[in-house]
Amino acid sequence: MAEPRARGGGENTSATDQRAVKGWLGNLARGSQLWIRSTVAAGTVAGIATIIQMVLLARIIHLGVIDEVPVADLTPLFLGLILAMVVRALGQGFQTRFAARCSEQVRRDARRQLHKHWQATGPVELGQSSAGTLAREWIDHVEALHGYFARFLPQMTLSMIVPLLILALLFWLDWLAGIFLLLSAPLIPLFMALVGMGAEKLNQQHFETISRLSGQFLDKVRGLTTLQLFGQTAGAAELIRKRSDHYRRVTMKTLRMAFLSSAVLEFFASVAIAVIAIYIGFGLLGYITYGPSEDLTLFSGLLILLLAPEFFQPLRTLSQHYHDRAAAMGAGTEILERLETPVNLESTTEMASVEGSQERIELRSVSKNFRSDQLVLRDLTLTIRKGDVIALTGPSGGGKSTLLHLLAGFLAPDAGEIHLFGEAPGTFRFGWLGQKGFLVHGTWADNLRLTTPDASDIAIETALRNVGLGSVLDSRKQGIYSPVSEEGQGLSGGQARRLSLARIFLADYDLILLDEPTAGLDSDSEVFVLEALRKLAVAGKTLIFSTHHQALLTLANRVLLVSGGEVRDA
Amino acid sequence: MRDLKPWLDLIFRRPGRLVVGGVLILATLLSGIGLLAVSGWFITETALVGLLLAAGVAATINLYVPGGAIRFFAVSRTVFRYLERVYNHDTVLRLLTDIRVALFQRLSRASRVRRGELSGAQWLSRLTSDVDSLDTLYLRLIAPTALASLVTLLVVILAAVLFDIGTALLVGLLLVIALVIATVGVYLRTWRLAARQSDRQEELRTAVIEHIEGFSELTAAGRTGKHAAWLMRQAHHVTSEQAKADTRVGWHLAGSHLFVNLSAVLALWAGFVLFQSGSVSGPVLVLLPIALLGLAEVYAMLPDAFGKLGATVASAARLNRDCRDEEKPAATAAPELPPKTAVLAENIAVKHDGYAPLFTRFNLEIEDGDRIGILGHSGSGKSSLADVLAGLLPTAQGRLVCKDCVYLTQKTVLFEDTLRANLLLGSPEASDTELWSMLEQMELAERFAMEPDQLDTWLGSAGSRLSGGEARRVALARVLLNPAPLVILDEPFTGLDAETRTRVSKRMETLLEGRTVVSLAHGPDALPGTDRVIYLSG
Repeated sequence: MAEPRARGGGENTSATDQRAVKGWLGNLARGSQLWIRSTVAAGTVAGIATIIQMVLLARIIHLGVIDEVPVADLTPLFLGLILAMVVRALGQGFQTRFAARCSEQVRRDARRQLHKHWQATGPVELGQSSAGTLAREWIDHVEALHGYFARFLPQMTLSMIVPLLILALLFWLDWLAGIFLLLSAPLIPLFMALVGMGAEKLNQQHFETISRLSGQFLDKVRGLTTLQLFGQTAGAAELIRKRSDHYRRVTMKTLRMAFLSSAVLEFFASVAIAVIAIYIGFGLLGYITYGPSEDLTLFSGLLILLLAPEFFQPLRTLSQHYHDRAAAMGAGTEILERLETPVNLESTTEMASVEGSQERIELRSVSKNFRSDQLVLRDLTLTIRKGDVIALTGPSGGGKSTLLHLLAGFLAPDAGEIHLFGEAPGTFRFGWLGQKGFLVHGTWADNLRLTTPDASDIAIETALRNVGLGSVLDSRKQGIYSPVSEEGQGLSGGQARRLSLARIFLADYDLILLDEPTAGLDSDSEVFVLEALRKLAVAGKTLIFSTHHQALLTLANRVLLVSGGEVRDA
Repeated sequence: MRDLKPWLDLIFRRPGRLVVGGVLILATLLSGIGLLAVSGWFITETALVGLLLAAGVAATINLYVPGGAIRFFAVSRTVFRYLERVYNHDTVLRLLTDIRVALFQRLSRASRVRRGELSGAQWLSRLTSDVDSLDTLYLRLIAPTALASLVTLLVVILAAVLFDIGTALLVGLLLVIALVIATVGVYLRTWRLAARQSDRQEELRTAVIEHIEGFSELTAAGRTGKHAAWLMRQAHHVTSEQAKADTRVGWHLAGSHLFVNLSAVLALWAGFVLFQSGSVSGPVLVLLPIALLGLAEVYAMLPDAFGKLGATVASAARLNRDCRDEEKPAATAAPELPPKTAVLAENIAVKHDGYAPLFTRFNLEIEDGDRIGILGHSGSGKSSLADVLAGLLPTAQGRLVCKDCVYLTQKTVLFEDTLRANLLLGSPEASDTELWSMLEQMELAERFAMEPDQLDTWLGSAGSRLSGGEARRVALARVLLNPAPLVILDEPFTGLDAETRTRVSKRMETLLEGRTVVSLAHGPDALPGTDRVIYLSG
């Protein structure tokens, strides 16, 4: 589902969570205060223009019908009326414009926050969540904030301001009519709660049904081939129909109730208008002998009638936007969960007390454990000379990757110090090759310039040839400027890893860390990777890699056995 | 727009429901307008009569008709609104069912080759949102537009009756302008932005996923900040296009509202001229402008819906593309199999579209009851060969005739449904006893006898989770339940430990007695018992 799980007010969200999410949304709103205020201001201008429009309309009708003023004399009023209408339209237009700008800025802020968190989390911890999930948070969940900031939040303020303005005017015109309206909406908050309860339930119910149905549907689509093989597609179609129909009936039962709450709002609005119309009519006829009705004129009577629907309109708009709030709460909960995952990397950069030799990598009594009980590296002290080629070997789960991650600065040690050529991990650029190659949509040049933006065309081509991608490159029409994955010509896993290796060649790093550089490679790629690593070693780079591969072990001039929290020369 | 046609046809297959739903919306709208218009008329009338009464002139007024009408409209607006929402929501859910079923049927007719490219999680989630955008087409777009036009027509007729033709035409003209601004105008100014939106978002998603997958490398190279800044710019681009579309919709809404209001002003002006010449009474003069003001609410739903139309059309186009029927090779009369032969392949070539052929000149003859093993390392084209034998993939050339077959694909596919439903796919008529006995053979009977729901145990993400080996055996059981004379098994024992594999393999000997079996695997120990083994060298 592209939509985030909307579960605002649902059973799974505790009250504290809700408060935290509200707080977070509030902080985002504060960052875009200017735009929110402008939106509300534009909405208020439109509201006031509406009131003026109604006043002029009632005035014109009164003058024309009761006082029988010739129509030509009413021209200034007519012009004023048109002006009010134009101002109202401008107000409405600017309201959406400012609202769109506000939401734009909020989404940018939220994305920035998420990305900052990613950076603080570091690649290792980040790898615990799937790229798809992280992308969904960054794209879809942030998008789900749009309606809340563009529509709901400004409307919330407007649905207080505009009705109060109208109410004030009504009390001035005829306090009894004012009381009618006030009674029909005894307390605006009560109304909002009613609307909210209904809308929230409705939204939740609708959402659950839809997502359950699409789950069922997608499951069948995914297994379509299997269904075809057993000749059961017709049966499955029938099943989709039956299940959908069943859910429809269940959902409709709840919806019939949920719609009642908005019907209540509708009912009060309609009845209030009817009661006011009849009250004014009788007042004008002189049938009502008490209260302010004696002073009623066609002007005030008509104005009250015209303003009554405008009194309810902001509330009705708010109820239409209520689902925006639920969506934002749901998305906010998940984003906040991400932002609140503790990060353990922040200390790394501050640890940068520059000491130790520039010619050595030094680890001093470094310990690292995952969870409190599981010690991965214990009190490790190790020195590696510049230009060494180090192979880390040992059983899987023995701590090879952890050691590499510590050296890379992707993880911070629990105790001890690490200095790489006199600097702290993560403070300088180095080469990293993970088990999965990494490539982006684009040309070969785009992919290599990702890490070395100013590389020349020749350097890029040389780097690609160094990792044995020359033949692939020759088969492409535009050389390094052809897309990496053309139709039907994607890269194999081995080729992707070689592409990543080419980046390292191009960037000319002093230190290169590689996590199992040959694991799972086809024999062609293996040969090229070995050859490339040999070239890097000859060039005097410091290479540290984890491996079980015999050919790689012989490439190393020092083999370290990492096992049971300890590291020793093999 | 032509892309919408098949889906509109589908929607209009329920004309009765659509009309009833439309009538309910119309009744709601007319009640709202009626309530205000009659109230305005009533207040003006009473004001005039009140003045006469105050002046001591004997005047009468019928209070019952307008009073009753006002009360009626107040109640009917609420009731119709409620009925309309319930009824139309039901319609939307029904349409959703219709669309899903139709789409499923069309997808199942479309060729598998295309579907193969389109089975990723991203495609599936996009499919869902595309379907969702179609199911509200009626309620958000078609009904409001049709009703807005109808109500406009009614109001113009009312103007012609109460005032005169000239005024009615002028009012009509302003209303048509308002309607065009709210509908076609919005569509023309937003469709490009809206149609692109979904593609842009998918591109952005790909870029974000790439960013995360390359996070280690980018961090090492000190480039996360730079690359993230680029991502932020891309995201901002998507957002600002959306904001642009939103703003345009907003201005069109305001513009259409303005024209509705202007038509009320025009009606009022023209009304005064008529009033002063004596051809229109005061209350009637008031009625029309107020009714016109009420039209704004009818038009208000339109701009937003038309702002999304571009995206909806793009969704429809994608769905049409994904499930278009591929040209099927003319069904030649299936050549007869020679007696006692289960499979006959002569000189066939196996090839995926756009790739080099995997095999050419492949010959194979399998006699009834034979057990053939086909071995080859991954990437040698085993699974494609199995697909060809099972008829999923057409042969590129040559002649291939096979008996009816049942095929265990390399990928284990179980449905989120009960164990029973999953097994019955293989043999819809099978009794519970047969199912249990097959589970017994696959060493799964104990496992499911322990579940509270037994055969009705729910499988899949929402239900009981099976291990890889268990899931494989359920899939195998499903295939073995099927009585087809030819059985094709692609890596039948994936995920099974060696001991279970030996035991299950032995039992399959008896289960498959008398049937022809073609098994494919990467190594000899992954094959069930065979009479003959073919090695594929890729």
